[in-house]
Parts: sequence; structure tokens; C-alpha cells
Amino acid sequence: MADNVTLTIDGKQVSAAPGMLLVDAAEIANIEIPVFCSHPKLDPVGCCRMCMVEIEGPRGSRLMTACTTPVAEGMVVHTNTPQVAEVQEANLGFILLNHPLDCPICDKGGECPLQDQTMRFGPGISQLVEPKRLKQKNYDISDMIVLDQERCVLCWRCIRYLEEWEDKPQLGLHNRGNETVIDIQDGQPVDAKTSGNIIDICPVGALTNQISRFAYRPWEVERTASVCNHCSVGCNIRVDTRTHTVRRIIGRENMQVNDQWICDKGRFAHAWVNGENRLETPLLRKNGELVPVQWSEALDFIAEKLQAVKQQHGASAIGAIGSAKIGNESNYALQRLFRSVIGTNNIDHRDGADVAGLATGLPSLAGVMKPQYGPNPQVDTIFLFGIDPSEELPILDLHLKRAVKKGGAKLIIAHPRKIELTRYNGPYLAYEPGTEATLLNGLLRAAAGQKEGLNSTAVSHLADVKKWTEEADDRALADLCRTDPAAVKAAAAMLAKSEKALIIYGPQAARGSDGPAIRDGLANLAFLTGHQDRLAFVGLEANSQGARDMGVLPDRLPGHASIGSSDAVKRLEHLWECKLPTAAGQSYKQMLDGGVKALYVMGADPASERPEWAEKLDGLDLLVVQELYLTETAKRADVVLPALGWSETDATFTNLERRVQRAPKAVALPQSRAAADWAILSHLAQKLGAKWHFADAKALEAEIGKAAPIYRGLTWEALGDQGLQWDASALKSKPELKEVRQKMAKGSKEYPLTLVTGTVLFDGGTLFGATEKLDGVTVGPVVGLSPADATKLGLTEGAAVAVSSPEGSLSLTVHISEQVQPGSAWIPESLPGAPVGALLNGSVVQRVKVEKAA
Amino acid sequence: MREKLAEIKAIEEDAKAQYTHTVNVCTAAGCLSSGAAQVKEALGKEVERSGLERWCQVKGVGCLGLCTAGPLVEVESQSAMYGHVTVEDTPAIVGGLNTKPVERLRVPTGTPFFLRQNRIVLENSGRIDPERIEEYIAAGGYSGLVTALTEMTPAQVIDEVTASGLRGRGGGGYPTGLKWTTVAKAPGPDKYVICNADEGDPGAFMDRSVLESDPHRVIEGMILAGYAVGASQGYVYVRAEYPLAIEHLKKAISQARRMGLLGRSVAETTFGFNIDIRLGAGAFVCGEETALIASIEGKRGQPRPRPPYPAEYGLWGKPTLINNVESFANIPPIIRNGGEWYASLGTEKSKGTKVFALAGAITNTGIIEVPMGTSLQEIVYEIGGGVPGGGRCKAVQTGGPSGGCIPDAYLDNPVDYDSLRSLGSIMGSGGMIVMDDSSCMVDVAKYFMEFCMTESCGKCVPCRVGTVQMYRLLDKISTGRATLEDLALLENLCDMVQNTSLCGLGQTAPNPVVSTLRYFRDEYIAHIEEKRCPAGVCKIHSSVAQTDSPSYAVAEVAQ
Repeated sequence: MADNVTLTIDGKQVSAAPGMLLVDAAEIANIEIPVFCSHPKLDPVGCCRMCMVEIEGPRGSRLMTACTTPVAEGMVVHTNTPQVAEVQEANLGFILLNHPLDCPICDKGGECPLQDQTMRFGPGISQLVEPKRLKQKNYDISDMIVLDQERCVLCWRCIRYLEEWEDKPQLGLHNRGNETVIDIQDGQPVDAKTSGNIIDICPVGALTNQISRFAYRPWEVERTASVCNHCSVGCNIRVDTRTHTVRRIIGRENMQVNDQWICDKGRFAHAWVNGENRLETPLLRKNGELVPVQWSEALDFIAEKLQAVKQQHGASAIGAIGSAKIGNESNYALQRLFRSVIGTNNIDHRDGADVAGLATGLPSLAGVMKPQYGPNPQVDTIFLFGIDPSEELPILDLHLKRAVKKGGAKLIIAHPRKIELTRYNGPYLAYEPGTEATLLNGLLRAAAGQKEGLNSTAVSHLADVKKWTEEADDRALADLCRTDPAAVKAAAAMLAKSEKALIIYGPQAARGSDGPAIRDGLANLAFLTGHQDRLAFVGLEANSQGARDMGVLPDRLPGHASIGSSDAVKRLEHLWECKLPTAAGQSYKQMLDGGVKALYVMGADPASERPEWAEKLDGLDLLVVQELYLTETAKRADVVLPALGWSETDATFTNLERRVQRAPKAVALPQSRAAADWAILSHLAQKLGAKWHFADAKALEAEIGKAAPIYRGLTWEALGDQGLQWDASALKSKPELKEVRQKMAKGSKEYPLTLVTGTVLFDGGTLFGATEKLDGVTVGPVVGLSPADATKLGLTEGAAVAVSSPEGSLSLTVHISEQVQPGSAWIPESLPGAPVGALLNGSVVQRVKVEKAA
Repeated sequence: MREKLAEIKAIEEDAKAQYTHTVNVCTAAGCLSSGAAQVKEALGKEVERSGLERWCQVKGVGCLGLCTAGPLVEVESQSAMYGHVTVEDTPAIVGGLNTKPVERLRVPTGTPFFLRQNRIVLENSGRIDPERIEEYIAAGGYSGLVTALTEMTPAQVIDEVTASGLRGRGGGGYPTGLKWTTVAKAPGPDKYVICNADEGDPGAFMDRSVLESDPHRVIEGMILAGYAVGASQGYVYVRAEYPLAIEHLKKAISQARRMGLLGRSVAETTFGFNIDIRLGAGAFVCGEETALIASIEGKRGQPRPRPPYPAEYGLWGKPTLINNVESFANIPPIIRNGGEWYASLGTEKSKGTKVFALAGAITNTGIIEVPMGTSLQEIVYEIGGGVPGGGRCKAVQTGGPSGGCIPDAYLDNPVDYDSLRSLGSIMGSGGMIVMDDSSCMVDVAKYFMEFCMTESCGKCVPCRVGTVQMYRLLDKISTGRATLEDLALLENLCDMVQNTSLCGLGQTAPNPVVSTLRYFRDEYIAHIEEKRCPAGVCKIHSSVAQTDSPSYAVAEVAQ
């Protein structure tokens, strides 16, 4: 690193890193230079000319733009001379000349850099009385963003954001000279998944939020620093509320997480908070109907029933389902209630024990999440296995693109679909669902053939490795996995060569009975190529990590302690004043498959996942559902308890890199009798005779710190507004190589296509669907087919088809996509009116046929 | 390769010697537009009809310079130049071949227009067939390249260019040798050479003429530059409105390739160089080097702040040498004859010659090349033949929209970079528009401001908005609606736009206003206070009787 340079700005000595731009150096010295086009997160462009300063030189002082001029040793800069002031005035005069000055009806008013700078640096009066230019106003550039070309000052921030961060140049300058406008390209709406960030960075009201349009004035809202709850990235956001409603959500800077960007789902899909049709009072089934009752009646009923089932069938006949969408406090309370008061380990959540997740989450994600401006990315290679950040974790996607484009990191992608990130031309390993472990064996085999870059301990087992992986030869890769063997070799070579590779896999790749084999296969590969500390599992929900950390798992106690760990059991029995059950509990799937008589569901909707489960739920002795809405599962319940959701009650969420963050209460629901999940559980525990005294979420956090040592010290106050990461070093296990085998599903003539499923960002889920203005971007009930298969089947885009598996059938429309691999059919999860679960019915790998609808 | 060139030269000379007569027909754009192609065809037929085909060849050549008299035909053996030739004249011309020249068609060649020129860049213009590489070689072409590649190091090539004192002919006047040195020293294996042929100034057509008349000269200059700075790829960025120049250039590139002068091994050496053509879509700002680069990269043609200069960070982020057509065209003779020879021409700080395009109220409209330091007086009144009808030259506009108007009183100043600058104008690329008393200087300033306003790319605020404001104020003045406050505001805007614009277009856009205000302020005042246009051009209210006075040279020339 070169030494800092010293320069003088307005007589102040400033020390700055070489290459730093003058505008940033001035900020260090607390000297304000007005800007419009310049933005700390975007490359300089120098078009607004607002930041002109005088720089002394050998031939007198010159006016230069501070946003494009790098600092130099001995540079002498003046930002407050009469000439600078004159230029600033003139420039603002020019800008205001065409600006409509419709501030009273502009959403930006009150937080508008143009307003602020006009007050500070602008001319008092306008000398120019020419007519303003007339351009398009109220012009939709997507379903979410409105453009006003008259307000636009052509600073290019939106263009640059989409180019530099999204790598999707969807906005551009059109026409020339005074006629120049910003517009979409060829009439195509902006569809980048994080497009809303251009609203935040627009220095005027040219880009406004379609969903929140005219719904707030910046000075009238209450601002709450929070975190988003749509995915596991845990983007920091600010929730602006007024009169008990969320008026808008904007990004908030956290350089360890989201920089300052958030995705469009996080920004726009918030109508569900305090939305219509929310449950407001407890419901109890009487004569077959769910009718409103008092809290006491509902809770008494549940306590009585639970005790009856326990007496009749034992504690192991009772189960509880938690939720990765709900905060740590409530999940902790749930597992504590069922472990210590009921006495069962039948505790799980969706994608909990049924997915072979590692405990630790992303070990070094901070290295990827931090802006990768170039010379020092913390990882040089990223291997994504069965995960599609573009749809599942959009801000991770943004960071990955940045790491590749600016940081020179390389991407390897293994996915049954040719996902968007494959455009960066790293090796793409397509695979058939159900052949993951074979593919990993193939990778291991190719890695074992590398001459350099292998872990020295693992190398001593090379002979074994070669023997186990013998069958995963080129032919098996090509025929079974449908993977290009050359790409496998290239990927293995890259992993071996890499100094620091990060390997990320998601629930899609590790679900079901093959999950452990896939996890071990990944561990083998990570170990052999020397990246064992950087193998990571990411859940997809906002609190996937937290639900695991809290022990909402049938075989793990809070803090990832095994249920057999005597230390943990002793600690918890003392803390909870109880005797803990010793037998492992049932998983989510096992409980729903009929393993229990009474089920307590908090924030989950298994009935809509799978028809068979819905039927089984009907047959339970007791079904209690704690929910925001009357879901399919709630409709089948004996008791429905109205819960407060995210933003309605204080909670902490743990993101995919183990950062525990606060999501405080931002709105109240004065008309509702709903209660926080943990509070409901607390009251129920008391009804069941336990002495629980949690006054608020903070009290639970204090106890979590005692129950799970990794959470020690992570109190509400300590977390602050940037959160704190828990340390995974204590959970590191000794790496080992394990033989991995996978039973192949048989091909079928009747069902020629393999079903590929997964998550899309704009799905038809409850949280997204509540914002009706987003209906236009919601993915409809479609089945994706490769162009080759569509041609073979004689199907065109939009054709109505029946897709069937041995388990069931769905009516869908065809979407032809290059992303879909030949031989597979892609049906996203949670599509409105088309639960793909009908075809899977609990299985992970399924074959289907697609036929023209009759 | 040297032998091959010598052989071609010998064959060419032999072939030419077979003919008693060579009839050169100018087929550059100017003459073509007045029917040169038909004249050439008719001459050919006439020669055949007369049975003279074994003694007489009819050849298309590049620009003969005196565009005003086109179509031009030259009979070398008779030292006769004919002007305004029509198809009907061809029998007389052919008939006169063996007797005496046709006097009624003759254009006098003993005039200053021909005698005072010193043609270096234009040495082959009108002499050779631009579509045949052999003729360029016969005229000594590519010999400098072979010498450089076989006997000189790249550093020595740059030394010659530096010694020549050549300064950028695109108008900036940056020392060419220094630019080449910077690019040569820039690190990295990939470098580019770009020839800027996006000639866009109204009234300028020098580069077009050079490309049409002698394209190989530019190619040879670019190859030499590639060798000197270590580039292996060159681009010619030429405006699509120059179809003939593009055609000749394309032909020349493929001929040079076939001859082994372009490609992996240039002239049988280990040095490889290729040239591709990129077409500009007519945006004036794309003549600005960073905008030009953006345009080649397929981006919107608009400039970016410098530094970094293209010499360090240019095309695709690689060190890039950009010179204009005329600069490259000067290189072959510099290498052939030595930098010292070139430096002996011109003035102390402006060496060599400069090509100018004469237009406007001048008798000899056309292309000329004179040594630097020649006075405007000499150019306008002697070489240019003065104002048609013997009127007074009111002012000379140089440098296009970035330049200024130099009044009559200063015409005895020498033409070089520094003296023009001190007069409030610039050398520019060589457009020279002569105006007589029928020109209104407010109207001239308004014309150029309208040009800049239309051609502003819209990227930076002062140029995008300021040019519109200045235009509107000029319009107000020219229509008699302005006050003295408007004039003060205009002057203030000139200052702001000059000081704060991003690129040369905006920074120089006020120049025509500033220079006309400097020398012709009284005309502005007359418009404002007396509501009167002294030249009778501007229509002020209905009280001014002016109706159909042609709104004159600048507008015509812009075509």
C-alpha cells in the first residue's frame, strides 16, 4: 500500500489514500462539496459539473471537478472562492431552468438534494426566463418505478447503478443535447431484481416508488431502523410508518451485509404488514366452525387438550413446528415450551432436519458481502451448488456480480437450471436432480487427479478417494448427471488452484434422504481442495440460520448442541428447571406424515405444500396454528391464534452469515388482539403450569445468551443497528473424507422429464401476494421447458398443458426458457394456484410428463 | 519488399511512358457532384472513338484543389487545366490533344492559387489514381515505411516525428512526437492507433479530400505510428457521410493487405498491423477523442473527463494513439525526408504546412496547402482570389464552431497555432470561411451556437442547457427583442459554459460569440439599441425592409 498523500483543502491539511477522489477527501476534512452525479458507490462520470473547485497549478488556478480528480501530493484546493460560488450558482441556474419545481406534489420533497443544494448554493433569483422543456411525466418504467423526465437532471446515477452493480444496462440516455432524456431500452421495462435502489439514489424526484407513491411526506413519517424479512441475507432497511401503516421501505447502509442496497421484494412487498384479512382474534372450532373467542378460552382449551393427548399417548405424540420466517425469541420459546414443559424433541421447521444443513452458515461471506471494489477480494473463487442467488438471495447476487466484475473472482455453478449467474462464463455443471452426489464424486475424482493445490492431510487418502469415485467417470457424468465432463474437470482444477474458494450450497440441493450424502460429498470436495473452512450452507428464509441456532430441530438443542450432549443437557435442565427428553424427535416431514396426534404450528403452512399432508392434518386430535392469516393449515385447525408479525413486535433475526440483527416494532395494530408469538407461548406455558415470566423480547434474548453460548452477549442493546455476528470457530469440526453413494432414481418411459423446482423471487407466497400492485411481475402458474423439449412436444410459449407425475397433476402454461435444461421441467415453488407439492407429494426427485391440455 | 516496390514503380513508369497523353479527371466528391464521372466516361469514349486509346489514357485522380471550377480535367502533356468541363466539351478536349489546348475551357495555372502552395500532404492529390496502390508506390509511397521497419527502431521513428515539430492537425496543436512518446511508454501489450476522420466542422473538408485523393498516405502514416508506439491494431473512425472516402479507404486497405503491407507481417517483417474502419453516424461530438473511443466501443458517443488521457487509458481501456487524418498524412514524407526537412518549413513554433478548406465569400473555393506562417491576407486575397466581385473581406472564420472570427484589420497576421489563438480564434482543423459585408456577425454567432446546441451530446449540464440559453439570447438579439441586460447575461453565460463544460465542445462553444463580441460589438449594440441589423441579414420586426437577402455563406457551406 502506497503512503497517503497530503493536500490542502480550504487551508486544512488532509491526508488521503492515493487515488482517492477529491470529493471524498474533502468529506474526510468535513468540507462539503455539492454533487448530483457523484455517488460514493458509483464510478465517477463528471456530468453535473456541480462539484467544481479551484485547484492551484503552475499556470494559475483551474476549475476542476472534484468528483473526477484524484488527490495528489501537495495539491492546493479551494472550495469556497467567489469563482466557485459563481459556478455553483450558474450550474444550479442551468439545472433549475428545466426542472418543473413541482416540489409540493413531489415525493422527494423534503429529502431532495436539489432542494437542499438550491437553498445552500443556488442563485437567489432566476435570470433565465425561457420556457421549460416538456417531457414525459408519470411514466412507468416498470410496475414498481415511475419516471418523471422533466424532474430528471440527467445525473446518470440510475444508469450507472444498473450497469455497474446489476450488470443490466436497462436504462439509457436517449436523444442528444437539450432533448436528452433517460428512458428504458426498446420499450422493455426495467426488471433488474434490485431496481428500486435507483429511487434511493436519485438526487431529485425523477424516480419515485410506484407502491408508495403519494403515501408519505418524508418529514411526517416515523423512521425505524430494521432488517428485511424476505430472505436470509438480512438486508438493513428503514421502515417508514405513519398512522399504524408501513408507508415505504428504503435501504439502510450496513457494509457487512447489503452495502446500501436492497432488492425489490424487500422494498415493495410490504402490504402484508397490517394488511387486510389479518387474523385479529383467537378462533376456536365449535360445531365444526372456527368462531372468535377470548384469549383465555383458547389457551385453556389448548392446555387441556395437550395434557389429554400427553396422558393418553405420551409426550412423543405431540409435535411443534416453528418457522424460519419468525424471529429468534419466538422460536426459542417454542422449542423450550415443547422440550421443557411438554417433554418432547418433536420440534422442527420446514427445511430444518429434512435438509442436511451445516450449522455454521457462510463462514466468510463478509468477504463477499463487502463491496468488492477491486484489488483485494477475500475469496478468489465461488462455487454455487444448487443455489440461485438471482432469484433466492438477490443482494448476494449483487455482491457476487461485483466480486466477479470488479474483484476478478471466478464463479463455478452447479445447478439443474442454467441460472442467470452462468452468464459470467465460469464452468457450468448442469445436473439431473437425484444425481448430485454422483456429480460431487466426479468432481472429487477430477480433483484427486490434480497435481497441486490439494490439502496435504487429505492427500494421504487419495487412493481411497480414487477407489470410491471410480464409478463417477466421464460416462456416468455425461449419461447419468447430464453434466459436461470437461466442465467438471475445469471446475475441479479451479478449486484446486484457488487460494481461497467459497463453496455455497442451499436447501434445494440437500433436501431429503440424499441430503446427508450430498453434504458429505461437498465436504469431501472442500477438504480435498483445501477449502474446508469455507464450505457453507445457506437457508433461504430470513431466520433460517436463527431457527437452527435456537434448536428448532429434533436432534439439536439451542446452540447446535446434540441432544445427547451432557454439558448442554445439564446447562439447560438447570436453566429451564426441568428434565429433558433424551430420544431424538421427529422431523417436519415425519410429524406431518402422521407421526404425532397433536401438532402445534407456528408460522408454517404445510397443508398448502402437499395434498396428503392437508388430509393428515384433518385427522389430528389437536391442531393449533399461530398465524398472521387464515392459511390452508389454519383453516384445518382446532384453534387459531392471531400472531403479530415482523415489524409489529420486537424480534431479532440471524442472517446467513450468522449476523444477529434487530427488527424492532415499527407499527401498532390498535384494532387487533393479536399477540407476539413468544407472548402467546409464554401464556400457554403458564397455563400448563410452568413459571415463565418474560416481560418482553429482551428478556428472552437474555435467556438465549444463557441457553446457547454462541449467543452470549448478543443482547438487544449490544446488537445496535448494525448487528453482531456469532463466532463459528467453536463449532468447527475436524474434516474427514467419507465414502458417498447415491441410489439413482430409475428412468421412466411414461414420465420422460425430471421435475426441477426451486424458489423464485416474485412468487405467489402470502407475503409477496398481499401487495396487489406487484401482481404484474408475479410469476404465474408456469412450467418451464427447454426449447428442444418444447419443440419435441409441439408446444409453444403460453400453451396450456397438464403436467403429471405418479403423485398428481397440475394445469399450467408453458414458458420456454434457455435456462431449463433439456430433459427437465421447471416448476417454481409457491406459484399462485399451483403448488408443485401436488406433483412431488413429499418426494424430492420426481419424474413428470407434459401433455397438451384437453 | 524494397525490391518489390521498386519493381512496381518501374512497371508503372513503363506503362505511363507508353502513353503520349494522360488526361486526369478529378473524381473527388466536389467534382463528382458537378458531373465529373460523366465527363470521365465521355472522355474515355471520345478517346476510343478517335482511335487514340493506345496513345492516350484517361485517369480518375484525386482532388485538384480548385473545387470552385469543377469538374476539373488536366492534360499533363499540355500542362493544361480545364474547368467547368461538361460532356459536350469532351470532343474538343480530345480533339485538341494533338494540336493545341482548348483555350475557352482553360483555368489559368500561373495564378497564386497554384504557385503559392507548398503541397506535402497533398503532393499526390490530383496526380495519382487513389484507387490504385501501384500509383501511390510509384510516387514514392510506402518506401518510408519499408525504411522505418528495416532500418529504424520505433524510438528512431518517434525521434524523427519529434524532430519534425509536427503538431496535431486536428486543431489542438499538441506536439505529435510527444503524444507518440507517451503512448510508446505506456505499459501493456495491447495498444491501439486511431485515425480521427470524423471531420465535422461546418465548412471543413480537408480530411475528406485527403482520404478520397490519397488514402494510402494515411494508411502508411498509421502503420508507422503502430510500429512506433507498439500497436498492432488501427481503426479509422470516419463519418458515414463520406461514402467516397470510405470506398477509397476500404479499397486501399485491402490492396495494402494483399501487397503484404498490412497483416501479420508488414513488409515481410515480424511487425504485424491491421486497420479496420469504423463509421461515425454524424455526431459532431464524436470528433472529440474520448467520445470517438466510446463510439468505437459501441457506446453512446459522448466524452468522458480527462485525465486519464487516451494515451494512457483509451480504447477498451488500453493506451491509444489518436491523430487526425492530416497528421497521419504528414508522417510518410517526414520519415522519407527526415524530421529536419519538415522542421525547416513553417514558423518557429508551428512547423510544416497546413491544409485549409477555403469557403464562403471567396473566389477560389477549394483545398489549399500552405506553409505555416503564411498570412491570412495572402490566403484570402492572393491564393483565394479575394471576395467575388472585388468586395471587402469583413472577417475570416477559422476553427469552425470552436473558433472565432478574425476581422479584416488583422488579416496580416501569420497563420499559426499561437497567433490565431492570440486573435481569439483557433487553427482548428483547417476550415476557413470568408465573409464579406453581407454577413451579420450576430447571425454568424447564432448560426454556430445553433450548431453547438444541436450537436451537444447532452451529458454535462452547462453545455446541454447553456448552449440553448445562449442560442435563445442570440435569437433575441437578432430579432431585436433583447436588452443590454441580455447581452450582459450572454457574456456571463459564455464565461460559465467555457469554464465548466466537460469537453472541448462546450468549452469552446461560446468562442464564436466571444470573438464576434470582441471585434464587432457595435453590431450587437445596433441590434439591441437601434433595432437594426447593419448587414441587413436579421429580420427585425416588420420595419426592416429586408426580405429575401440570402442568409448566406455559413448556411450554404454547412451543407
